[in-house]
Amino acid sequence: MKFLAEDKLQSLLKELANAAQVVIPARAEDAEGMVSFRAWEPGVEPELDVLLTRQSAKEFIFKQCEEYLTYHYTMEGETGVPEEEEEGSPGEDEDGLEEIAHETLRVEARVEAPPQVLFGLRPCDASGLVQIDNVFSGYGGFYFDPMYNARREATTILAVACAEPRSTCFCTSLGGSPSGTEGVDALFTPVEGGFTVEALTDKGEELVKSSAFVDAEGSQEEAAAKVKEEIEGKVDEAFGLEGVRENLQANFEDTEGWDELASRCISCGTCTYVCPNCYCFNITDHKVETSGERVRTWDNCFNPSYTLETSGHNPRASKRNRFRNRFSHKFWYYPEKYDSLLCSGCGRCITHCPVRIDLREVVREMGSPRVAASGEEA
Amino acid sequence: MAEAQKSRLTFAHVEEGATTARAGKNAGNPYLPEVATVKEIVQETPNIKSLRVTFDDAEVMENFSFAPGQVGQLGVFGVGESTFAINSSPYDKDYLQFSVMKAGEVTTALHDLTVGDKVGVRAPMGCSFPVEEWKGKKILYIMGGIGAAALRATISYTLAHRDDYQDITIIYGARTPQDLTYMYDIEDWEAREDVNALITVDQEAPEWDGRVGFVPAVLEEEAPSPKDTIAITCGPPIMIKFVLQSLEKLQFADEQIYTTLEKRMKCGIGICGRCNLGPKYVCVDGPVFTMADLRELPDEL
Repeated sequence: MKFLAEDKLQSLLKELANAAQVVIPARAEDAEGMVSFRAWEPGVEPELDVLLTRQSAKEFIFKQCEEYLTYHYTMEGETGVPEEEEEGSPGEDEDGLEEIAHETLRVEARVEAPPQVLFGLRPCDASGLVQIDNVFSGYGGFYFDPMYNARREATTILAVACAEPRSTCFCTSLGGSPSGTEGVDALFTPVEGGFTVEALTDKGEELVKSSAFVDAEGSQEEAAAKVKEEIEGKVDEAFGLEGVRENLQANFEDTEGWDELASRCISCGTCTYVCPNCYCFNITDHKVETSGERVRTWDNCFNPSYTLETSGHNPRASKRNRFRNRFSHKFWYYPEKYDSLLCSGCGRCITHCPVRIDLREVVREMGSPRVAASGEEA
Repeated sequence: MAEAQKSRLTFAHVEEGATTARAGKNAGNPYLPEVATVKEIVQETPNIKSLRVTFDDAEVMENFSFAPGQVGQLGVFGVGESTFAINSSPYDKDYLQFSVMKAGEVTTALHDLTVGDKVGVRAPMGCSFPVEEWKGKKILYIMGGIGAAALRATISYTLAHRDDYQDITIIYGARTPQDLTYMYDIEDWEAREDVNALITVDQEAPEWDGRVGFVPAVLEEEAPSPKDTIAITCGPPIMIKFVLQSLEKLQFADEQIYTTLEKRMKCGIGICGRCNLGPKYVCVDGPVFTMADLRELPDEL
């Protein structure tokens, strides 16, 4: 185990920034003072006293908006249709339409993956990325996403263990931990005067070669173990996982139950954007004259147009069905496909929901056996 | 260290022989369409056109193959892509055919294309009908309107291997005679001794001396025996609903009934999330499902 003195943090970040973009949680200098991940610049202090950034760091790997294809049309003969030709001239077809010159087309894929170091993620955020990895890396024999994986490979994740959980934290209910190491290259644990540092992967081993680190003393290792142990017990036990998947399946048709939980949802999708595990996306084309891009952007399964078909038919036309889909996806559909859960218990969806919908309550209600007759509960 | 890396997967597990089209790390960029050129356009009905396209890269064209029932993403750069069945015969090496009903932005852009224009194609995708498994059985196609597009390649395949199957019946209906697609196929089916083709329109129409009646009614009238029979249906949701009721009346088991589904799709490769039916994605786990499969899944059709 290594030790990084508090006053060595800036020099470490500076050293890392020589070879990669370094991203840290930082406080905005405006009145609101929002804490979010952004590129480190000399002198910017990582804000580690605030437990969670507004959004997770997923946008640095699964970009919020990404141009992944470019295309360019060139008209044959460069100038295309002669402009001088008049109406009814041989340059037009019998409908009087302009004869279209056939184009040549160049299409190029774009994969951008500059090396980057993400410092200051909490273990729940790192674990969220592992869950997204399953989807984008072809788990189960499906397709491999080159854009996502290139960035994933080029990224080193330095997580910082949590010191004090929020009332909305529930990672331990999902098998996680405030000092969890899933998806983490090196784990920093705050102790007196700095951090103990554990390298967990080859990338982590590479990192701790820096002269900023010294070997941790026995007392520091003990202090780190104590920090981890103490916080572990402070995290809310939100629900038991046993039977959740089966019960969600059994309660799928309990429209009254779902309606009751979904009634105040305003379909804003905030929960999906702040979630470190949500990964749905949309694809759109943008073309100006002869060139354009194909772009993918984060989507939101609460948006009715997410599943709206051209015919007007919508398989999830009601808010209840969209609401049910999100929770079923996290605790039933995804687990069935990827042998894992699509939630790491950060609680951002709870803190940021404008109408106070609480995922824990939804799982407790719909992930448990329901009273069969609706009248009995009232 | 091993513990932390346990659930991290950095490459795709490509399953040999899987019926679903799968692509691993080395299979190239699944989002990058192959550029193709429109070679021929067939106006099938007033609002349906078939586009016959060939890949610009001769090697890609040469090596392209698909199984009946598989689909592709066909798109216009600058507008977008949509999912369509590849409805040319799997043995046709000259072109890929897609039939497009003009309905939204992408289909309108596809309708605006002229011969020589460029399109993007990502194909094949999704799973196919298990035509090998069906060998030795009677095949009953029940389709309506544009639904014929989704079954055309499968019909071609079973006709190309005619001796491997027992009776082949095709029940095909459309609202009006003008809405029947693939008139060139219909002529062929009707001329053949070894195909029982029942072509119907919803209402009497001038210059139509063929059958009149809804597809489910024709099905019940024909009353095929479920013994050793596979029923494959595709068409508008309302038709499918009544066809399923009729098949049930005729005592077809759920395992004998196949259909192919549509959903709004974007990526087409099981990632973007929207085309799920419970834990299954129509784009990669489908589009072909049996009624028995569908009964196991949440009803979000």
